[in-house]
Amino acid sequence: MAGGSVFECKEYLFKVLVIGELGVGKTSIIKRYVHQLFSQHYRATIGVDFALKVINWDSKTLVRLQLWDIAGQERFGNMTRVYYKEAVGAFVVFDVTRGSTFEAVSKWKHDLDSKVKLANGNPIPSVLLANKCDQKKESSNNTALMDNFCKETGFLGWFETSAKDNINVDEAARFLVENILANDKGLPYEESNGDRIKLDQETVAAESKSGCC
Amino acid sequence: MATPSLLLYIDRSLFARRVKDSRPVEQRDPGWKLFGKVPPREGPIKDPKRIQKEYETKSGRAGPGNPTSPRHSVRKNLDFEPLSTTALILEDRPANLPAKPAEEAQKHRQQYEEMVAQAKKRELKEAQKRKKQLEDRCKLEESIGTAAQIWNQEILPNWSTTCTSRRVRDLWWQGIPPSVRGKVWSLAVGNELNITHELYSICLARAKEKWSTTPAPSLETEAEDAGSSNRESSLELIKLDISRTFPQLCIFQQGGPYHDVLHSILGAYTCYRPDVGYVQGMSFIAAVLILNLDTADAFIAFANLLNKPCQMAFFRVDHSLMLTYFAAFEVFFEENLPKLFAHFQKNNLTPDIYLIDWIFTLYSKSLPLDLACRVWDVFCRDNEEFLFRTGLGLLRLYQDVLTTMDFIHMAQFLTRLPELIPAEQLFQHIAAIHMTSRNRKWAQVLQALQKDPERGSPVLKR
Repeated sequence: MAGGSVFECKEYLFKVLVIGELGVGKTSIIKRYVHQLFSQHYRATIGVDFALKVINWDSKTLVRLQLWDIAGQERFGNMTRVYYKEAVGAFVVFDVTRGSTFEAVSKWKHDLDSKVKLANGNPIPSVLLANKCDQKKESSNNTALMDNFCKETGFLGWFETSAKDNINVDEAARFLVENILANDKGLPYEESNGDRIKLDQETVAAESKSGCC
Repeated sequence: MATPSLLLYIDRSLFARRVKDSRPVEQRDPGWKLFGKVPPREGPIKDPKRIQKEYETKSGRAGPGNPTSPRHSVRKNLDFEPLSTTALILEDRPANLPAKPAEEAQKHRQQYEEMVAQAKKRELKEAQKRKKQLEDRCKLEESIGTAAQIWNQEILPNWSTTCTSRRVRDLWWQGIPPSVRGKVWSLAVGNELNITHELYSICLARAKEKWSTTPAPSLETEAEDAGSSNRESSLELIKLDISRTFPQLCIFQQGGPYHDVLHSILGAYTCYRPDVGYVQGMSFIAAVLILNLDTADAFIAFANLLNKPCQMAFFRVDHSLMLTYFAAFEVFFEENLPKLFAHFQKNNLTPDIYLIDWIFTLYSKSLPLDLACRVWDVFCRDNEEFLFRTGLGLLRLYQDVLTTMDFIHMAQFLTRLPELIPAEQLFQHIAAIHMTSRNRKWAQVLQALQKDPERGSPVLKR
């Protein structure tokens, strides 16, 4: 089967988008997830930044997540949305301390669904992240509301996250990857997969270098 | 005193003589102690004059001293004094313990001398290295000083006639001395827009008025007016971005010395050009200008810089014009670095992925600040062409490592360049980039592409 290596280990390469308004913490979530780091001092993302997370999903599955950290300013929209193509999953992030960033979530979701689809025409799996939950002022319980919102807007689910305190970041990623993998079953990935494996082997040396930051 | 204690000390160890003089005879036998760990020992606090006198005595500058002391002979052999952290002092045993046997003392002394000799050797090497570094730095500082003088006395007073001369162009390429950098940038960028300090004050006053009428963002009020299609509330974006502008410098952040200045310039610009407003990337450009110019002059340079055709295309996010710029870049990319170009194409790595960040911030985010300033120097001289040439220079510099990478690693590498980039090497690579393609210069290639967008990069047509 294509994608299987000599060790019968199946390798996947998934392109995942991280989108949402400016300053909601997209870069912070990625840095937390990939490098287990948090800093107050991230610079604004201009255009797009990248990260790669390699996950030993189980003994037979290796997942490479290509994370596309896309600049949040609305103005860049036309330009950065070409980056959506071929994505198989997405995080839409908002900042729980800024209501306007939640209001913009539907806009981002709509945008996403209009620009990229799965091979079968379905929208790509997406997860909503309510970030900076460590700074949440009132502990109002709006779980039901949020569940409902996700159902209506087509999110698989939502997580309250904090890149700062490392809350739910891994869980959310795991949840999204599970869904991407589920979609992947039965979908032909052949041609691209063979190519991928070759490339990956070529760049093993570069991997360890770029891992540090 | 027949056998004065062996003491290896650095110039600053002012206690040596006093210790020797005031010590009872039976404490003379040596013991070990690491200099750094010795607490200040017994004795009354000395007055500075006495310390000075002792120092002079010891160093042989005043008074008879004791020329035959072994301590002196040890010192004479030392070209470099050991550092305080490595200096080892042969000490006496404490008074309450019996003295060492002579044999043991001798052995210890020998070991001690060996250790000192080794330390000396190592430190000699380090000192030579430091000396070399210091010399290099002095040389550099001297050349900067000389250059500053030339710029100040010869070039700047006769700007209009000198600025295009061969000699000035060469000096310019080598980097403008920081002390005159702001002035040269101002002159080179010019003030086509005829912005005066008064106009800046007016724009700033208007911005401040807006800030005061916009209620402080609270959860409730924000949520209500959020859906407004009002072209992104620039003011809020500025606030968010200022703290994310050169965060490592800690001068633009809330409470930092330049926070308000950066805020003012960006705010004033949104009032000066409401049609453009605030676009991410601007905060980096304004910050670099603030570091080199007074506030009003920084604003004038900022507005004029953004008014250049390439910057206007990008900051107004004129998508098709941006694609034309990328396509022109690719023409020169293929011409100069055909192998790497093919590798990029094979991996679907398009210029927009890395150029957007480079062009929007004029390299101030991706390059170390001093290097970015050198790029700005020549950008002010050669205009937009130099921005794309710098990009090609970077690709050329890292060509070898890039050709071993796949898409994601290249994209990561180019959007997060190494922290240490050799300046001279980079400029050599930039110089090696030819900005002519089939006898056409940058502007001609760009113009041709603009007229005939179909000839644009096939990669970029999506």
